Amino acid sequence: MTGLFSVVVSLVLVLVFSYDVRAEGSFLEHRYPYTPNEALPGADRFVKKQGYWEGYKGNKMVGVVLLSKDWTPNLVGYAGKHLETLIGMDTAGNLTGVKVVFHAEPIVMIGLKEDNYKTFIRQYVGKSIKEKLAVGSGISMDAITGATVTAVVQNSIVLGSARRAALKSGMLQARKTEAPRQVSQAFTAQSWKELLDKGAVQRITIKPETVGLKAEAQPYLDLYFALADPPAVGRNLLGANAYEQAKAALGKRGGSILVVVSSGPGSFKGTGFVRGGIFDRFHLEQEAKSFIFRDVDYTLISEIKAAGAPPIREGGIFLIHNKDFDPGDRFAFNLVLPVRVGTTSKEVKSFEQTYRLPDAYMEKAK
Amino acid sequence: MSKKRFNRRDFLKTLGITGAAAGAGLVLPRTILSEHAQKQIFEASTAHAAEKNGGQSYEIKPGELDPYYGFWSGGHSGEVRILGVPSMRQLHRIPVFCMDVGSGYGITNESKKLLKGTFVGDTHHVHGSYVNGTYDGKWLFVNDKGNNRVARIRMDYMETDAIVSIPNAQGLHGTFPQRYPKTEWVVTNTEFQIPVPNDASNAANFNKPQNYYGMHTIIDAATMGIVCQIMLDENVDLTACDYQGKYSMSTSYNPEKGVTLAEYLAFDTDFLIVFHWERIRAALKAGKYKTISGIRVLDGRKGSDLTLRIPVPKNPHGINISPDGKYGVCSGKVSPTCSVVELAKIDEAFAGKIKPEKCVVAQPEIGLGPLHTTFDGRGNAITSVFIDSTNVKWNIDRAVKGEKKPHVHVLDISYQVGHIMATMAETKEADGKWLVSLNKISKDRFLNVGPLKPENEQLIDLTGEKLVIVKDEPAYIEPHDVIMVRRDLVEPKVKHRYNMSDHPMAVHKNEIIRKGNDVIVRMTANAPVYGFQEVKVKKGNKVTFYVTNHDEITDLSHGFNISNYNVNFVVSPYQTKSVTFTADKPGVHWIYCTNFCHALHLEMRMRLIVEV
Repeated sequence: MTGLFSVVVSLVLVLVFSYDVRAEGSFLEHRYPYTPNEALPGADRFVKKQGYWEGYKGNKMVGVVLLSKDWTPNLVGYAGKHLETLIGMDTAGNLTGVKVVFHAEPIVMIGLKEDNYKTFIRQYVGKSIKEKLAVGSGISMDAITGATVTAVVQNSIVLGSARRAALKSGMLQARKTEAPRQVSQAFTAQSWKELLDKGAVQRITIKPETVGLKAEAQPYLDLYFALADPPAVGRNLLGANAYEQAKAALGKRGGSILVVVSSGPGSFKGTGFVRGGIFDRFHLEQEAKSFIFRDVDYTLISEIKAAGAPPIREGGIFLIHNKDFDPGDRFAFNLVLPVRVGTTSKEVKSFEQTYRLPDAYMEKAK
Repeated sequence: MSKKRFNRRDFLKTLGITGAAAGAGLVLPRTILSEHAQKQIFEASTAHAAEKNGGQSYEIKPGELDPYYGFWSGGHSGEVRILGVPSMRQLHRIPVFCMDVGSGYGITNESKKLLKGTFVGDTHHVHGSYVNGTYDGKWLFVNDKGNNRVARIRMDYMETDAIVSIPNAQGLHGTFPQRYPKTEWVVTNTEFQIPVPNDASNAANFNKPQNYYGMHTIIDAATMGIVCQIMLDENVDLTACDYQGKYSMSTSYNPEKGVTLAEYLAFDTDFLIVFHWERIRAALKAGKYKTISGIRVLDGRKGSDLTLRIPVPKNPHGINISPDGKYGVCSGKVSPTCSVVELAKIDEAFAGKIKPEKCVVAQPEIGLGPLHTTFDGRGNAITSVFIDSTNVKWNIDRAVKGEKKPHVHVLDISYQVGHIMATMAETKEADGKWLVSLNKISKDRFLNVGPLKPENEQLIDLTGEKLVIVKDEPAYIEPHDVIMVRRDLVEPKVKHRYNMSDHPMAVHKNEIIRKGNDVIVRMTANAPVYGFQEVKVKKGNKVTFYVTNHDEITDLSHGFNISNYNVNFVVSPYQTKSVTFTADKPGVHWIYCTNFCHALHLEMRMRLIVEV
């Protein structure tokens, strides 16, 4: 057991940032000791692999255990720090144990207790990573109402890390992907209607009654989104200037450009990004990967340039720097909205729309 | 409307409209012109008037952004301000030559290195760096008339990053960057002639005005070193660079070498002095300079081939170049005229083929006291006229064709206009959308706030035939000049946070280093805590704090105020600042965060214990 523990410690040390932001801040930081079998109680022996442990009962492999920091280090919470999570699952992809081993979330400071956080985390045990799980759909926020940034990030960390590790270890088969496609650089002027008809722009419409408000004809939120990488999409939606600026902002590293606009009294931006830097109401999911957006990736827009586009109330360009995102592959746009229940309580509800850049804007990858 | 109701003035105005249209490529035969003119006048008296005379809204609704960045000088406040245009909302103040106890500029070691103890400044002219005749969004340059300095502001952080003191110069006025092919040089002028050098070694000339000189100073934009100075008998006031990278040119109102009001006004003709850059480079290369106060000084006095003196009437003020690069317009100030100089003729004049005065191709009578001229990019100039207190829109082509009064519209300002500027007007991309009239007086326009009243910046819709005032905006001491830059040229360059490596002493590890009497505290700020909860020093210690903000969230800046120690500054994400002081007051002195950062902002504090 001692040997095992030293393995754990060395793993953590390797991952420490190159600089030491020493923690007089330790008061706000919560670090807990752990052993892999806490997340996979059925195992009696662990074998270290690249980025995870295989857990064995006797000679039979019963599951894997991993630390999220090895898989989704870029997902950081309200405090700007990764929520380090120990995750265990059986060979069928059912989560067997989830434990937060380090976080600096100030949720305790806004009236929640550390125990509330633990309660939130516990609901993952028994769930399958093959299921659709989102905050507001399968995962409840009841325990940590108000801490939406923390909840959304934590959800992406648990599922993203587990799914990636499952793919790597061969426990989960990758979806059979189509022939790789790349963005076509061809440009033709296209109106708003053409972009909608061709499917380059997708829409989510939410009625007031869906979110617990009085029924009205006007949608509560009428949201449009598009992947603006192809000039025939991006230049038409944003105008040449804003499109070129977004491309330039991506820089040599490359990446993709998401455009989201909406009208109606509802808000897809929310206010989480104002203080926490994270947009807590929407994210993308592609295969096992979650893509969350931060304030630094965002540029406000107040109109769509394509001919015939409706006026908008909110809009933004969101850059996806992460190289793991494939603009040629399908992804899901996940929207998480607070829903009023009765007069005083709130819960969240999630909505999803899949997206795939139509072939008209793509070409076969070389 | 019947034909006989036309009067002559209306007829002239109408010609102004069609003249402008012709400039835009629309050529109409003369007979149709008058029909067109009638139509215009008819429309002006109908419901279409609003649309024809602009009709732009300055309102920027919540969730919308202004289409222009406005960079305003701050006069004797010593700062530069950023306003959104057309909302005129003040977005930021950049301390340049002055102290700013909010941000800590003038308090931190980094800013003290820039100011070197001099924190009285008088900013007049802000201009941006150029590539190919338009702004590249890299730098702003601004002069300090009071202490003879030029500062550079880096636009990615919107903060002052270099200040150069100009010796041999005083009343450092007009300042302008090279417009083409890109800004390598920045020129600035001496409005007050002085002995050169102006120090004890030259005391014999202190009261001999005949031995006072003016200087045209050339600064290297990248290094902010002084390339050279061109010495003149005349003073040089405002300045501009052409659109070809060949010349800079400056108005001079005191070739008299006067030191009293009557003397400045003695001559009926003063000068626009043009500086020949190629010859300046050659003269430097050939070593034809004297080194004075460590600066290479070239002789540009009468007889020099580096300079050309174009005579213009009495005490001229602004010199502004039309966006097509063809004309320089000198505003007359004491003369009611503007002198239009055709820049293509300057080559010939320098070559001696024509007399300098032949470069002046028009001299329209604009009004009493023309000061500064700006452009709408559609062939019209707009000149601020101080004594009449008007803004006069006039057509350049009509003036060149010989019209003495090529007026299109005269707008009464009534509040003593100084500078005026149109959007993008100092670039080849002048777009004629908005005009700002920087008025010196605001009485009755705002709530009375006591004897020292705000200035009055009036926003004018420039899109119609007539100039239409749409907004009064108060401003604190005392903007002189402004440029308004299209958002897309600036916005992509502006960053949300610093690079931690910008500062060589960025703190990655909290530590206290004690060496003899020195205490160096290196610590982080990370919402809502500083890297230490307390620091103990001994009375008399020389204490230096380095503070690095490790929060990566946009807009999460921290303050650092040491109670009783006259210290405050702000550090923004990934920025490092430092301060040094002597711990001369024993006791407990709380250090606290002044810039709201977090739900526990009030708890972000630590003790400085100064032991006896």
